[in-house]
Amino acid sequence: MSLQQLNSNQFEEIIYDNAEACLVMFSRKDCHVCKQVAPMLEEMKPQYEGKFGFYYVDVEEDKNLFQRFSLKGVPQVLFFNDGEYQGKLAGKVEEEAIEEKIAEVLGA
Amino acid sequence: MDNSYDLIIIGGGPAGLSAAIYGGRAKLKTLVMYKGTIGGLVDTTREIVNYPGYIQVSGPDLMKDFKKHAEHFNVEFLKEEVTSVDFSGEDKIIKTKKGKELSAKAVIVGCGSEPRMLNIPGEKSLRGSGVAYCATCDAEFFEGEDVVVIGSGDQAIEEGMFITKYARKVTVIVLHDEGILDCNKISAERAFNNEKMEFIWNSTIEEVLGEDNVEGVKIKNLKTGTSSELTCQGVFFFVGMIPSTRFLKDSGLEMDNRGYIPVNESMETNLEGIYAIGDNRVKYLRQVASAVGDGATAAVAAERYIEELHHFNANILQNDKKTLLLFFNALVNESLEFSTLLEGLIGENGDEYKLVKVDLATKKSLAGKYGIEKAPTVVVLDKGVEIKRLDCCMDKEKLQSQLF
Repeated sequence: MSLQQLNSNQFEEIIYDNAEACLVMFSRKDCHVCKQVAPMLEEMKPQYEGKFGFYYVDVEEDKNLFQRFSLKGVPQVLFFNDGEYQGKLAGKVEEEAIEEKIAEVLGA
Repeated sequence: MDNSYDLIIIGGGPAGLSAAIYGGRAKLKTLVMYKGTIGGLVDTTREIVNYPGYIQVSGPDLMKDFKKHAEHFNVEFLKEEVTSVDFSGEDKIIKTKKGKELSAKAVIVGCGSEPRMLNIPGEKSLRGSGVAYCATCDAEFFEGEDVVVIGSGDQAIEEGMFITKYARKVTVIVLHDEGILDCNKISAERAFNNEKMEFIWNSTIEEVLGEDNVEGVKIKNLKTGTSSELTCQGVFFFVGMIPSTRFLKDSGLEMDNRGYIPVNESMETNLEGIYAIGDNRVKYLRQVASAVGDGATAAVAAERYIEELHHFNANILQNDKKTLLLFFNALVNESLEFSTLLEGLIGENGDEYKLVKVDLATKKSLAGKYGIEKAPTVVVLDKGVEIKRLDCCMDKEKLQSQLF
């Protein structure tokens, strides 16, 4: 199951208007570490269906989004809840770290 | 069984794919297991100019050709991470993170390496906030900014030059005396002529500075012992690689203190039926060209090993005659003398027994299978089933009475 890509407008809508609890992976096509992290997130997604959203942003296509969060590199997984930024995990993250962070965000 | 193979190759880089091509062509049921992307480290290489037959090719394109070649010989691929192995038996067991269990007669380990960390303050906490390990992925984020590169090998210098496409300035921190870089001469020359590249010699980094984002680095001069700070927005670490062999730590596989696996010229490890290739083994040159040779060698060695295994199972375990398995140690005289005695005895008494000599030094798994601890030991098999063990005395009559 692949992740839904967000452009700037969809990003506004889901994160701020709908205030969805979710994560957004910032990645780019020629980043090999992204290619390792993305499939892991895709596999985790079904377990969180209806509870926690999984999305991604292509930084080459939506530059303003990574600039807004002053990101310095990909992949980075950003977490949101109630329209608020809840932190990020950078680089080659493990499944366990993502699970912990989701639990933390949902528990907050 | 669906999950049992002749040959499993852990790692989908050039070494693993080459082994797969040879394994597939030898009609072995072959599986390549990989995590991440096919091609391993080569998949991250923008340009390769020294692989024979390709004047210039990108890493991903070259690896696509390798994979296509392996698929042509019916090699299977599985994208799953291996978390543990059991290499103690004749069937080698491999377990994945998702709980899958696979088995193979022979296993080739070629799972490559990962960037080494310096483990200095700020390196981990500022990862993704200015600390980076991949120029292709992250260079663009430093448009018009000051970047520090640590290291002076091929990767550090070539990636450093790539970063100058975006950054205002790239400062390379080099351990060695002025003018000495570890990289190839062509790249060194280009780097020295690049206006945006600067060098700080005899130095290393002791800390990455910054709260939320990288604001600078603390540089230590190794000659004078003095420290200084340099303002920058990005730090790229290229301080070498370490083999990704930690999951093999408890497998009984011999490794050196850095995690490299020593092998002989057939790529054989200390464990029978297990081979190590490419960046996982102790070796002189780490290139696609040398990885390919490793893969080919290991696959041929594995093929011969599997053939011997089949031969043993078919001809000895399923033989109508009684078989004497003599485990001996070629370095011990007593062992050899006993062997001569036993051979003579069997020759004098017709063809009731077939004698198979097993050298303890090279046939470790067979010795393990029968729990052999000392040489000489003789196991008597009838239709492949053990019926007794001999008292290995040098008295010919006593020995004869046990057999006839």
